[in-house]
Amino acid sequence: MRTLVGWGLFVVMAPCPLQLLAAQERTTVGGYGEVHYTNSTGPKTPAVVNLARFVVYLAHSFDERLAFRSELEVEDAKVEGGQAGGEVALEQAYLDYRLADWITLRTGLVLPPVGIINETHEPPTFNGVDRPGFDHDVIPTTWREIGLGAVGTIPGRSGLAYRVYLVNGLRADGLSAGEGIREGRQEGRQASFANPSVTGRLEWARPGVKIGGSFWYGGTADTNAAVGTGTFGAPVALLAADARYERGPVALRGVVANISVSDAQAINAAYGRSVGSRIAGGYVEGAYNLLWLFAPESSQKLNAFVRHERYDTQASVPSGVTRDRSLARRITTLGLTYKPTWNTAFKGDYRLLRNAGGAGESEVLSLGVGYQF
Amino acid sequence: MTLALAVLLLTAQNPAAPPAKLVASIARLFGPGTRVDTLRVDTASVLRVSRADSLLGFAAVGNVLGKDQPITFLVAIDPADRLKDVDILVYREPYGGEVAYEPWRRQFRGKSAGDSLRVGKEIRSISGATISVHAVTRGVRRMLSDLTAWHQSGAIR
Repeated sequence: MRTLVGWGLFVVMAPCPLQLLAAQERTTVGGYGEVHYTNSTGPKTPAVVNLARFVVYLAHSFDERLAFRSELEVEDAKVEGGQAGGEVALEQAYLDYRLADWITLRTGLVLPPVGIINETHEPPTFNGVDRPGFDHDVIPTTWREIGLGAVGTIPGRSGLAYRVYLVNGLRADGLSAGEGIREGRQEGRQASFANPSVTGRLEWARPGVKIGGSFWYGGTADTNAAVGTGTFGAPVALLAADARYERGPVALRGVVANISVSDAQAINAAYGRSVGSRIAGGYVEGAYNLLWLFAPESSQKLNAFVRHERYDTQASVPSGVTRDRSLARRITTLGLTYKPTWNTAFKGDYRLLRNAGGAGESEVLSLGVGYQF
Repeated sequence: MTLALAVLLLTAQNPAAPPAKLVASIARLFGPGTRVDTLRVDTASVLRVSRADSLLGFAAVGNVLGKDQPITFLVAIDPADRLKDVDILVYREPYGGEVAYEPWRRQFRGKSAGDSLRVGKEIRSISGATISVHAVTRGVRRMLSDLTAWHQSGAIR
């Protein structure tokens, strides 16, 4: 049966097909996780198997505009007093208020939008069992801090999206020679807000292409006047750029980052460290889906990939610090990722860990499985 | 804070309400001055778009679940059952909004129900928007197949 209506009536009738999506409260559960097998060369390094991450995603929408989103993580399967490893932590927990397509206000424990892996860290989204070393020692993933900000995509043809936040700062007493700013993160635990920091990202997308630029700027001195004073005392300034490209069987990605710690000398004097005044590096990765050759109709993937990382957490050092050349790392990873579905992955890779000092070099064989839903 | 309040006031005045978006979407796809009739097929509603007695095509609105929110989209076909365009009417999630970008939606144009529409093959994905890309592609494939079947069976004409 046909109902004939004109435009005037249509506007009244139009909500009908859309009425189905009227605001309703809804709770969503998801998750991701990964299990690793790691076998390092050298004496006294037996293989290790580890349930590296088990993460529960829990979200709730209160109405059409207001939503809560969170990730609760268990690392290394369990936490037991007096034993190394193991962590239960919130990776994200925030409220989103969607004002319009181009702006959502956000507050809570958020991910600084820096690099590729920090925000998009589900195991099926990256090649290799472990995240790149760069995404541990230079960009300290999974990096999360408490604050507020705005995120959005500019609709239409521009292809632009942005995120910008004001969050708590890093702490200078956590900075180190080997892991840069990693242990300076506060991760939402009784975090000092003495040095609010700003972080943000602008990215541009086309089908198969995404290019982004990110920054972080903020003081680290906290209450230690010997390290620095004022809101931006002993600042850490990070700039990063990343690109991803996919076409047919080919996938390429690369990231570079530069972190300036201008008052590294004062930080080292105060805490007895040898923090570099500049931390820098990056990686490039290329992958080819072998099934494109052997089973072109398949929607599964078998990616052969190679990644080369170069980074140095002491790219520059302040006076008083002798550069440790073994911190200038070169990591080459060769591997396979089999993805029966887009959100599951079976991985295997071989890593060659090298450094300019030639000390402690090794090779590591890793196998792993990962999922997200 | 002041900025947040200003933005709140600006956007709260006139949230782009779905019906207005639907009207705009039909006008964009089929041009101005069209006649739109609402047809019912089972429980679904299909919009029949015509001008001066000549059929321009059909359109329907659907929802698919993204990561945690429904994505409301529109699929329009021409009288020969070729896909005219896809429109994202309401996108509620903070990530993956790239599916609303014209360069991504454009990939669906001209497709028929018999064509294969697979992410990573005919439809290129967007990094960081994988869940939404799969969801919308699945929704469009189903909607295109429904519209085509209804049109060919005479349920809509």
